[in-house]
Amino acid sequence: MNSTDVESAVMMKNMGSTSNGAPLFNEEMVRSELEEIVGMDHVSTERSDRLVYSCDWFWLPQMWLDRGERMPVPDYVVHPASPEEISEVMRIANTYDIPVVPWGGGSGSQGGALPLYGGILMDVKRMNEIIEIDETSLTVTAQAGINGQQLEWALNEKGLTLPHYPASANCATLGGYLAPRGSGTISTKYGKAEDLVLNMEVVLPNGRIIRTPKVPNHAAGPGFMNLFLGSEGTLGTITEATMQVDYLPETRLFRALLFDDLSDAIEAGRRVMTGRLDPTVIRLYDPTETGERVKKILGEELEGAYMVIGFDGDEDLATLQEEKAMAIFNELGARDLGRKPGEKWWERRYDFYYPPQNLKFPWMYGTTETVSTYSNCKQIYHEQKRAVEEGYPEWDIRYIAHFSHWFHWGTGMYSRFLIEDPPDDPEEAIRLHNRVWNTAITAVMENDGMINEHHGVGLKLARFMRRQYGEAWPFLETLKDAIDPQGLMNPGKVGFGR
Amino acid sequence: MIENVIDTTEYCRHCLMCRHVAPVGHVTHRETLTPHGVAQLVASERRGMIEWTEDTVQALYAFSDNGDSRAHCVTSQPLGEAIAAARSEVVAQDKAPPVVYELHDKLQRWENPHEAAEPEPPTGEGDVALFVGDDATHLRPSTLEAALALLQAVDIDPVLIGRGRSNGFLASSLGLPSTAEALVRATLQELAESGASTLLVLAPGDYFAFGQMSDERLGIPWPDDVELLEVTQLLAQKMEEGAIGFSQDASGGPHAYLDPTHAVRVPSHYDPARQLAGAVYPDTDRVELFWRNGRAHPSGNLAVQFTSPDVADQLTKARLKDAQSVGAKRVLTADPGSLHHLAHHASSFDVTVEGLFETLAARRS
Repeated sequence: MNSTDVESAVMMKNMGSTSNGAPLFNEEMVRSELEEIVGMDHVSTERSDRLVYSCDWFWLPQMWLDRGERMPVPDYVVHPASPEEISEVMRIANTYDIPVVPWGGGSGSQGGALPLYGGILMDVKRMNEIIEIDETSLTVTAQAGINGQQLEWALNEKGLTLPHYPASANCATLGGYLAPRGSGTISTKYGKAEDLVLNMEVVLPNGRIIRTPKVPNHAAGPGFMNLFLGSEGTLGTITEATMQVDYLPETRLFRALLFDDLSDAIEAGRRVMTGRLDPTVIRLYDPTETGERVKKILGEELEGAYMVIGFDGDEDLATLQEEKAMAIFNELGARDLGRKPGEKWWERRYDFYYPPQNLKFPWMYGTTETVSTYSNCKQIYHEQKRAVEEGYPEWDIRYIAHFSHWFHWGTGMYSRFLIEDPPDDPEEAIRLHNRVWNTAITAVMENDGMINEHHGVGLKLARFMRRQYGEAWPFLETLKDAIDPQGLMNPGKVGFGR
Repeated sequence: MIENVIDTTEYCRHCLMCRHVAPVGHVTHRETLTPHGVAQLVASERRGMIEWTEDTVQALYAFSDNGDSRAHCVTSQPLGEAIAAARSEVVAQDKAPPVVYELHDKLQRWENPHEAAEPEPPTGEGDVALFVGDDATHLRPSTLEAALALLQAVDIDPVLIGRGRSNGFLASSLGLPSTAEALVRATLQELAESGASTLLVLAPGDYFAFGQMSDERLGIPWPDDVELLEVTQLLAQKMEEGAIGFSQDASGGPHAYLDPTHAVRVPSHYDPARQLAGAVYPDTDRVELFWRNGRAHPSGNLAVQFTSPDVADQLTKARLKDAQSVGAKRVLTADPGSLHHLAHHASSFDVTVEGLFETLAARRS
């Protein structure tokens, strides 16, 4: 079977057709209907588009393409310009039982935007308008397809900022910030994307366009907006959101420190957080990452656990907060490396993601990030590190981690495994990749951690959701069935099937 | 010359870090037409996963090659150069869009894509030369006339070279490196014969073509003993020295300087051009476009004007829409090619497009 046959077979299955010659006929019929809605220029069945939209930022599909293999491709790439158009697209999807995969920036690392079952890939980037910037309430309302950095630049022109600074800001969309419950570099002070959203407009799988209440902190019934935060397009398509913004800070203070012992450093972070010192960022690298990545990107050759701490806002207040944090660090034996390396880290914080400094092929890698309470986080780190490093001696796995998103009660750990010489055979590579993931995530779940803090579930972690949620999982499935009875929305993701 | 430049696509195919400044992606919203999408196509073709067909080649030729991706890449990956190299392979396989071969013929015969006319010979010898190019000759002669008037006002009477000749960028971008090389060498020959120690250029595109592209893409180094300078830089310097002045016009309402095509490749363009604009129109009436300076997006005067005219039009309209959205009533820019495209659509946006040199020449005091 050649690739075209495969594509057609997928579509025939989706459309319930079995007769020879039907696929092209069906394709053209559906295409015509889609073109009626969004215009001829905004529906593509071109091979180039199908290829490019077959892969997001998940290592597995990238590896699969890297080895010359083909991914499942969408049957149609559709660019709607409004929620009304999305609603109409959903009508077609319901009529013909066609899967729909919302697509923002395609920058998710979990395979959340992969069109596993073909169907309609709905790229929302045409919906990129800023609706309103309210400089009194400090909110911005924008369409979900707006690019994160472009939104930030627009806010900066008014002295404002959306304090969600993910490494993917250059490529992700506003909807993509929210759908997987993303975190940014300064989430420790300002919260995750989900903490910044006031309300959202969503197109439901049945085509209905709904808006959540104006503000989230109310007592007028359940906060159902949260259903869509983390749903990753499985319960609907986010089309617009109102976000809380802030003034650009008067000052940003950064400082680097070095701890001999990682546990002391975690304890230092815990005391800063539980003491409500309100740092903008605490970035704590384990000794391995300090020795490798920090050295490579920042040029600092150090042994121990490298920490960057930042405070922002009013200069006097930030200075005082920093002083109080430094007292804690001194007590725990930290070496103060001064402002310069901290400022350098801030300037270069995204350099890690540019080629050739990023993780890259032929390496195999995965970010097994997690979040847990302070009582569990050290145990998770040590157990995950041991399990991954010792479980696959033949593959010489390197394990690195940093703690980057801190809460009053715990911290997110951004751990990664790297195999520099993985199997050449793509199928073998998938199996090894998934085995290492099983090991890493099992260590998390056995120690009361969450399987993910901010990248989302997507396809990558879907198989762990039943275990993560236990008895609560059927409840989530019931919600999914009620909202999307035909299972059209982003099938195969977040643990929901087709 | 950058060795194995096409390998850059291996880095860029899965990197999304310049998406926010990708001009074509921004107007088409197609992932395929963003830098990583085009790189993915090249990388996939090299793996035998796709072939160069009408569809895939069209996508390959929709890449703007304006320099935005490289300007915003922390490690300066030369993706534009890689795409040009990939296009040259497509040309060699006879799979490029037909218009590319038509342009090739024109560039070989007439040394420009606009008119069936050979370049005029240089005007003589002297210490300062001015590269005229094809756009100022065939599309916007008023820009050249104004620039010459301004130069004469500061006692510079340049030797005109490259009169009607492309600077080589178009050929390079289309994947015609040998033709690009011939064009650049012809200009350098004229430059050498002129005896000039300074070459002035009208626009960032020319500056890039001679100052960077020729070396990186064609292996032709810029002569060490010749200074390359934009007319805007020179005039701003002369204005600061008091050698030239302008009368202000406060009647026109908000104005904006539009960083023209290729400006992101020439950061030295931004400030002098604005200083000059500010000499004519009050700074209090100045507004800035969203897509400016280091994130400046191009107008349609790139290879896409021929290979994807719809994309070129969208780029040009996006510049005018940007001006409209910030309340600009007048848009100034120096580049004759950008001006040609902008002027074509200006009336639809209620914006007046003015050549910077034309405006300055009219207000010389």
